[in-house]
Amino acid sequence: MSLVQLLGFGEQGWGTTLLLALLMTVVLTIAALAVGAVFGAMVAAAKLSRSRTLRILGDAYTTLFRGIPELLIIYLFYFGGSSVMTAVGHFFGADGFIGVPPFVVGALAIGLISGSYQAEVYRSAVLAVSRGEIEAARAIGMSTATLWRRVLIPQVIRFALPGIGNVWQLSLKDSALIAVTGLAELMRTSQVAAGSTHQYFTFYMVGGALYLVLTSLSNRVFDRAEARVGRSFRGTLARH
Amino acid sequence: MKLLARLAASVAVGVIALGGASAQAKDWKSVTIATEGAYEPWNLTLPGGKLGGFEPELIENVCARIKIQCNLVTQDWDGMIAGLQAGKFDVLMDAISVTPEREKIIAFSTPYASTPAAFVSADQSPATLAKQPGAGQTVKLTGDAAHDKTTVDALRVALKGKTIGIQSGTVYTKFIDTNFKDVATIREYKTAPEHDLDLVAGRIDVAFDDSTYWASAFTKPENKGLAFTGPKIAGTVWGPGEALAFRQSDKDLKAKFDQGIQAALADGTVKRLSLKWLKVDATP
Repeated sequence: MSLVQLLGFGEQGWGTTLLLALLMTVVLTIAALAVGAVFGAMVAAAKLSRSRTLRILGDAYTTLFRGIPELLIIYLFYFGGSSVMTAVGHFFGADGFIGVPPFVVGALAIGLISGSYQAEVYRSAVLAVSRGEIEAARAIGMSTATLWRRVLIPQVIRFALPGIGNVWQLSLKDSALIAVTGLAELMRTSQVAAGSTHQYFTFYMVGGALYLVLTSLSNRVFDRAEARVGRSFRGTLARH
Repeated sequence: MKLLARLAASVAVGVIALGGASAQAKDWKSVTIATEGAYEPWNLTLPGGKLGGFEPELIENVCARIKIQCNLVTQDWDGMIAGLQAGKFDVLMDAISVTPEREKIIAFSTPYASTPAAFVSADQSPATLAKQPGAGQTVKLTGDAAHDKTTVDALRVALKGKTIGIQSGTVYTKFIDTNFKDVATIREYKTAPEHDLDLVAGRIDVAFDDSTYWASAFTKPENKGLAFTGPKIAGTVWGPGEALAFRQSDKDLKAKFDQGIQAALADGTVKRLSLKWLKVDATP
């Protein structure tokens, strides 16, 4: 079979399957980034809080999820999660095995890891906002809500964006580890295609190329976004 | 309080909906079977996403015999045994060889395949081996010296003074070492493709390996000219063979599948599918 046929969109071609897998990788990473944004924001708030307990909890979270191998966390959620769910099910009288869908496991596991990195990004972004501006806002009588909306958040987004771009790339590559759960994302599909056709080199090269396409495209998206939120800061940037 | 009650209710519905899909009755009307879907020709995925290969076709046949609805799911080999223990699947089918170490943690069915190993050479040499009685056929050996004597003695004559290539650390290494060390030169290789290279280059006369490995090696353009020679060797000399894996607690399920596999072995289904996919008769 020729390479064109093998990678094409015909009946014997893997084209459609690979593109669907690419889409799955993107959707999974977006879901993980969203989960991570929620946890990241909460943990960042905890780490910046005045309460000592909250600060310790926040530190524990980032230490834990940045310090444990991603694969271990995925196994923990995939196998451990099902065991816990089954036990809870039995407690409420359900019978048999209760599974956690691989996509949910993937989004949660990668999301929690991504959250630990995002927390640091948000924390440093909040710290980067100059104290003088916050004090000035207070001095002219802004309420806390207005202060967040008009002073803090716009600047935090701007300061955090380059860091979020890095976390996105990290999560994109972490998503390949979800292949162990059998979810048909790009890594797993490349493996399956390679093993089913014995064309290992071809399919791993194609898989690698598709990851590169994803990362370079998302790089451009983040560059654009940075330029856009940076527009009103150019003056500030020069003074920094 | 009303809000809390509603929340609890919706969580409960969610849990039941999740459980409904995979929960099963204890009388085994349906089981979930994990396979890799990427181990051609045992199990493979077709470009459209459907499963094909020796094992998916065999299990469809077996499940119909024992009237169990089988749902095949694909799973990486890495997480397979852990998934079985956690209850994610009930049966594993992934060309798993029965070994004493694995038998400590999982239960195995009656083996449904046991692949023969075979000698391969370039250009049908040495002629003595190619012309040996039984050449081209499968001979069953048990590992018992008295039982295997006729075949081994004939091979010893045919291989006298030749160089045999073999992969290190496999069941085949031991067999070749024990039987031919004193009459032939044995060269060990780390991986199977390495003995192919030396075979093509003429550095060794024959190489000995799993026949399903050979079937796929023959399709590579650089291995043109390589072919089976002499008899194929099968039987319990290589261990029990490939079997389905179960949790040790599911004895009733194992018994049902044993029944189905024995029936499929008896009426020639296994032989037919094995010739179709593995290109050799791998009946244990």
